[in-house]
Amino acid sequence: MRGGARILRELVRRKGALLSLAFLAVLVLLAVFAVALGFDPVKQNILHSLEAPSRAYWFGTDELGRDILSRVVYGARTSLMTAGGAVVLAGVIGVPMGLVAGFFGGWRDAVLMRAVDVLLALPAILFALALIAVFGRSQGAAMLAVGITGIPGFARIVRAQVLSLRQRDFVVAVEAFGGSSGYSMFRTILPNSWNQILVQVVVLCSIAILLEAALAFLGVGVPPPTPSWGEMLRTGKSYLHEAPYYAILPGLALTLTILSFDTIGRSLTAILENEDAAVTRAEGVAS
Amino acid sequence: MTAYVLRRLAQLVPVLFIASIGIFAMIYAVPGGPVGIMLGENANQAEIDALVHDLGLDRPIAIQYFDWLGSAVTGDFGVSLHSREPVIKLIGERLPATLQLAAVATLIAVLLGIPVALASALHPGSWLDRMLSGWSALALGVPTFWLGILLILLFAVELRWLPSASRYVPLWEDPLEALRHLIMPAATLGVYVSGVLARFLRASLVSQLGADYVRTARSKGLSRGRIVRVHVMRNALLPFITVIGLMMATFIGGAVVTEAVFTYPGLGRMLIQAISTRDYPLIQGCIIVMLVIYVAINLTVDVLYAYVDPRIEYS
Repeated sequence: MRGGARILRELVRRKGALLSLAFLAVLVLLAVFAVALGFDPVKQNILHSLEAPSRAYWFGTDELGRDILSRVVYGARTSLMTAGGAVVLAGVIGVPMGLVAGFFGGWRDAVLMRAVDVLLALPAILFALALIAVFGRSQGAAMLAVGITGIPGFARIVRAQVLSLRQRDFVVAVEAFGGSSGYSMFRTILPNSWNQILVQVVVLCSIAILLEAALAFLGVGVPPPTPSWGEMLRTGKSYLHEAPYYAILPGLALTLTILSFDTIGRSLTAILENEDAAVTRAEGVAS
Repeated sequence: MTAYVLRRLAQLVPVLFIASIGIFAMIYAVPGGPVGIMLGENANQAEIDALVHDLGLDRPIAIQYFDWLGSAVTGDFGVSLHSREPVIKLIGERLPATLQLAAVATLIAVLLGIPVALASALHPGSWLDRMLSGWSALALGVPTFWLGILLILLFAVELRWLPSASRYVPLWEDPLEALRHLIMPAATLGVYVSGVLARFLRASLVSQLGADYVRTARSKGLSRGRIVRVHVMRNALLPFITVIGLMMATFIGGAVVTEAVFTYPGLGRMLIQAISTRDYPLIQGCIIVMLVIYVAINLTVDVLYAYVDPRIEYS
């Protein structure tokens, strides 16, 4: 990746991005070490149901007396894994699509971009709901639904990147020396597109987490008893009078996660724009 | 211009065609297929054969598709498996509720979004700008369903001013009662959409404010307010029209979720209920109607844009 360390340095210099990175780091650590840290999302204690936050239960307990903090931590696992899987799926399909469409042009471009247009023409949530109506609700279905709706983003960005890079001397040189199309695409153009792809990954993470939570909230996402933030909000909504924190705290975790990804995404975009402008200026001076 | 409209229509045909095949195929992709859905798992072979013949499922699949498409185009989506009523009738009952919600939410989004965009674009980099762009990030980042729950907690549970579950009351029948039920769902949806609106409009305004004609107008001695009102706003709103089309996708998603939060009896809530009761004709009908509305609005927006901006070439 071009100047990965420099971009990271730029990123942590921005207060909002630094805070967001820190929050996400804590969240990921909690999710990864949930078992070792002793969080138990399924242990029921009916005698302590719907208890307000206390020293024993920091986030209170739910209707079955389960510890809400533990469920929020395990919900982070569900959210991050579903969203992560969806983003990987979207990237693995979308990036090669964009590469081929931009590199070869012609009928391949027409066919692939038409497919992307069809996907873009459908509101993501309608598409996801239709898919879940067919396959039934499961973590896999949610991941698939969210992932497919993310394909156009990758395909378009990579295609645009290919179109601009193809004219550059170093790509033309590879072709002139007899480099194969595959070599040009995957060894020359792709490595120079990682920055843009990274931004898209971050942007898509926030969209995927939101969509996954929305599906769970609607009762068609990852099925219980797997804890998920959307599902907790859905159940918590029934206990607004008795236990307002039940819906407030998981929602806060969800919102902070989305806002963190969004903040990092916007900072990255700004940093890369500045850098591109600097590169253009430098090239202008050189020529 | 006519040729342009016709060509945009023609571009929609493949999209709608592929989408319709997908929606048609849904029911066949379900384990057990249409017969399994209607008869359940314990049907005997004679019942299955009879139903297969009655429904025409023994005909070639292409013929079944065109038959289904022909009916769907005339608004015949079949009968709901759950209530045994025609799907189009059920949709007709729910659609006005969703449209009313969407209309009031749009109004709120515009009333919030335009001033926010204007204020931050006129003072780029100031504390006001930073605060307002933080606000639009918040409007976009806070999930609609959580915002809805927070509003219910405040206004229905704590203050007891508004009902926590919203009914549909037509605005023209009882405006006050209608607003009581509508204001929270519409605000929830409207705040979200205003975030999208403010972000795009701010960018558009900032680029217009730096344009040459603004400097010329300023050097002619026009006041800043007049320049913004008469010249800049007009030019900034133009590219913004195209965003409305993009916004519709967020709008539909937001409406489905918002209706669920407030148990508001609209199309989105009916779709979710249909999915949980596996009522496939109703699912298909809801999705088709939403898709057609979405596509129609996008087309209208494109045509409108071409119409108001003479610089757009129709070729």
